[in-house]
Amino acid sequence: MNVLVLFAHPVETSFQAALHARVVETLSDGGHTVDDCDLYAEDFDPRLTRSERLAYHDSAPDRSAIQPYIDRLQSAEALVLVFPVWNFGYPAILKGFFDRVFLPGVSFRMVDGQAVPALDHIRRVAAIVTYGGSRLRAILLGDPVRRSVARVLRAQTAGAPLRYLAQYDMNRSTDARRRRFLDRVGVEMGRFG
Amino acid sequence: MNILVVYCHPVAESFSAAIRDTAVEALQEAGHQVRLLDLYADGFDPVMGCDERRAYHTRDLNEAPVADHLALLRESDGLLFVYPTWWYGLPAMLKGWLDRVWVPHATFTLPEDGRPIRPLMTHIRFLGAVTTCGAPWWWSKFVGEPGRRTILRGIRALCARRCRTFWLAHYEMDSSTAESRAAFLARLQQKLVRVR
Repeated sequence: MNVLVLFAHPVETSFQAALHARVVETLSDGGHTVDDCDLYAEDFDPRLTRSERLAYHDSAPDRSAIQPYIDRLQSAEALVLVFPVWNFGYPAILKGFFDRVFLPGVSFRMVDGQAVPALDHIRRVAAIVTYGGSRLRAILLGDPVRRSVARVLRAQTAGAPLRYLAQYDMNRSTDARRRRFLDRVGVEMGRFG
Repeated sequence: MNILVVYCHPVAESFSAAIRDTAVEALQEAGHQVRLLDLYADGFDPVMGCDERRAYHTRDLNEAPVADHLALLRESDGLLFVYPTWWYGLPAMLKGWLDRVWVPHATFTLPEDGRPIRPLMTHIRFLGAVTTCGAPWWWSKFVGEPGRRTILRGIRALCARRCRTFWLAHYEMDSSTAESRAAFLARLQQKLVRVR
């Protein structure tokens, strides 16, 4: 499958970077064609601009600034997100990818006044997620990020099956726990598809 | 109260700008001191960079890049967010403001000696959001309103224990009319002049 990996962490020596490397390596070894989109490395600007907002609903808008990302998204048959949970949600750089690239005609179409998912070419979705706080804290706060993935993103991809792999309590993590999670991600990505 | 209005929209003539103006006037009418933070106009950079992330957990050092914003927060007793809901959440610009400014040791403590995270913005006793949503009310509820949860539960957990919350949303913006928008602004005005 063509797998688009969206990665959102700025530090090369972080645990997230290790997760990202494991995901890309395992998917490639498994015979998938990986489009590795490292949003920080690509210096993605997550701010939807004034002109983009004004043209948002146009039928033939000028999308040249963002077109390469639209093409990459439209070539994908699977989507893998690798990101840390910051303040209960996506890091801004990843949230902005949805704001700027998931556009009318790209992620949804209007048919008889109803929004219909247009990312139905995406057949699998996975999210590799690290939380600073505990799982209990995430649940008590309503876990907005899990909803963003499990409901918003899955609605956009016409209900593609989702694997949500989360490591909680990173603030008190140990080497052993991190290694176990890394291995689990490797196993899951080995049978992805 | 000193109320900080955090405003986020790229288009100066948008309905969100009308919401901002109505909110500021109503809060002033209620006798509050209002400060306005306009993230797009200020050219705020929502992306937490590599050096900033490396220093994120280090006391004092992590405050340096956002010292002005933290000073604003420390002077505020109330916070009101005005923004459009995009994909059921905050625009990246506003999300990045939370990522970069609400740092540990300043806005919450990290867990120590078995004690969980504790709030440090306990002088904030009013927290609200006014937003516009493309989706209908019932669908937003089904999705779980991640944006609303982020502010009213996530950020709320870092404020005063008895912090009051406020939420008002205009749903189905794409089929809104001049009447529905005017009615929304009138409702907002009526509610905010009662904030004490």
